[in-house]
Amino acid sequence: MSAELFFGLLAPTIVDGLSIGLMYAVIALGYTMVYGVLEFINFAHSEIFMVGAVIGVELLTAVLIPTGLHPVFQLIIAIVVAAGAAGILAVAVERFAYRPLRVRNAPKLVPLISAIGMSLLLIDVMRLILNPANPNRPFPSGGSFDFFTQTINLGFVSINYKTMTVFVVVMLMLAGLVYLVNYTNLGRGIRAVAQDQSTSSLMGINVSNIIVITFFIGGALGGVAGVLYALKYGVASPVMGFIPGLKAFTAAVLGGIGSIPGAVVGGIILGLLETFAGTYLPLMTNDQIGTEYKDIVAFGLLIVILIFKPAGLLGKAVAEKV
Amino acid sequence: MSEVMLEINDLHTYYGQIHALKGLTFTVNKGEIVCLIGGNGAGKTTTLRTISMLKPPKQGYVKYKGQNLNSVAPHEIVTKGLAHVPEGRRIFPRLTVKENLELGAYTVKDRNLITKRMQQGFEIFPRLRERQSQLGGTLSGGEQQMLAFARALMIDPELILLDEPSMGLSPLFVETIFDSVVALNKAGKTILLVEQNALMALGISNRGYVLQTGEIVLQGTGEDLKNNEAVRKKYLGED
Ligand SMILES: Nc1ncnc2c1ncn2[C@@H]1O[C@H](COP(=O)(O)OP(=O)(O)OP(=O)(O)O)[C@@H](O)[C@H]1O
Ligand SMILES: [Mg+2]
Repeated sequence: MSAELFFGLLAPTIVDGLSIGLMYAVIALGYTMVYGVLEFINFAHSEIFMVGAVIGVELLTAVLIPTGLHPVFQLIIAIVVAAGAAGILAVAVERFAYRPLRVRNAPKLVPLISAIGMSLLLIDVMRLILNPANPNRPFPSGGSFDFFTQTINLGFVSINYKTMTVFVVVMLMLAGLVYLVNYTNLGRGIRAVAQDQSTSSLMGINVSNIIVITFFIGGALGGVAGVLYALKYGVASPVMGFIPGLKAFTAAVLGGIGSIPGAVVGGIILGLLETFAGTYLPLMTNDQIGTEYKDIVAFGLLIVILIFKPAGLLGKAVAEKV
Repeated sequence: MSEVMLEINDLHTYYGQIHALKGLTFTVNKGEIVCLIGGNGAGKTTTLRTISMLKPPKQGYVKYKGQNLNSVAPHEIVTKGLAHVPEGRRIFPRLTVKENLELGAYTVKDRNLITKRMQQGFEIFPRLRERQSQLGGTLSGGEQQMLAFARALMIDPELILLDEPSMGLSPLFVETIFDSVVALNKAGKTILLVEQNALMALGISNRGYVLQTGEIVLQGTGEDLKNNEAVRKKYLGED
């Protein structure tokens, strides 16, 4: 391939990879924060993401578009509602599927099964609700929603408003989360519970409350990511959570499970890797290897990274004295 | 008769089938330093964990300032002015010294009060001031003990439960810690101290109890116990 083509594709590939990576990052935060406080992988998280997406799309289609509000306002409302609903759903899943096992001191594998069960249940319930024959829900397009297909030209690259929206919303969420976790009493409480539950309770921290709040935050982030994902790819459906969920989980492990900055770094790296592989593989191999092999390349590289950094890129670095 | 601050009555605590506390009864009066001594596995840590309801009793009760704590959650007990410095310090290793102290004040809403108490803690343990932005896990054992102690002081407690503050510390650090226990007691704080370092503990205590496999086998003033032949033999390493 020519150098011209190579460099010409560079900027759009980075932009696309970043926007995908940031969405993975936001989903990964849900896995990693819950893991942080409970050392447990909430496999139902990908379905919380899906429910957020479906609620967002349905709300836009059925309620918000008829109001004729500016599409940006409509999207903001849809995002806020999806965040709240996904957060509440995550809390409900914790309350009914995980907590009963935890208070009975079930072995660590048991809630994992419960999570997989919740995941399948949510998919099927959603399919039933949406109509099993046609469960896909397209993200609104046309009319005022043509707004999101516009592009802005930054000189070296032009970005469409969908991608722009992903950047802006994710950045706002990350900024909010960083502030919450690092600079508030609640955030310190979350970090304390992640390190030592019984000592946290000696500090006056209500550990159960912190766990509930963590599920809510993780769920809400997942819900927002769902809406953004539907916006970017144009559709929401009951099974849409599987692939991005798997990738976000991978991102969380890559960054160091339990680490909040790790989830963000891991998501961005995975998004960039797979997008680069998707763009350049076909070009460099004369279409012998198509875009569909991007995941093999991306995951192959991930395995190599994890061989050298088994705890993940930002996994717990400080030795703990007991 | 002085005012009773902590009343423990017929306390039984189990770990599964293990009967760790077998009918413990004792009191701590306001303004006292009381120590609980005994060998490994005697049940000292379990006693403190039961008092702060991390390990609620199967039978018997804990009363603090007249209130039964049995059904109060650990995180609510803290707000009543009862602080517990756990065995092995249990500072938060991946949080800074300052954040550890702020967590001690988790239930305190008044920012000024938090700042004031943090400064007081730094005056007692100046080392912590220098280390305030360092991660807890990077402190030495002695510094971690100071931090755990200072963290407990952030709620300005009336009663402090101290679990083996001298564990693993050099004699110099042990003295620093014991000196601050005495100073805090002089400043009005009541202290229930668990120690293996029986001689030192009895030396600063008003009263003491000797615990053996979950039961109190001896009690008396600090002075009496220090001079008691059985205690000297068993816990002070004299033959
Ligand atoms: N989590 C636990 N599970 C089962 N048994 C326990 C647990 N914690 C303590 N025990 C048992 O309860 C008894 C009392 O232990 P405890 O830790 O209270 O002793 P201790 O006096 O503090 O000892 P040490 O001086 O070694 O700290 C011991 O027999 C111990 O094995
Ligand atoms: Mg002990």
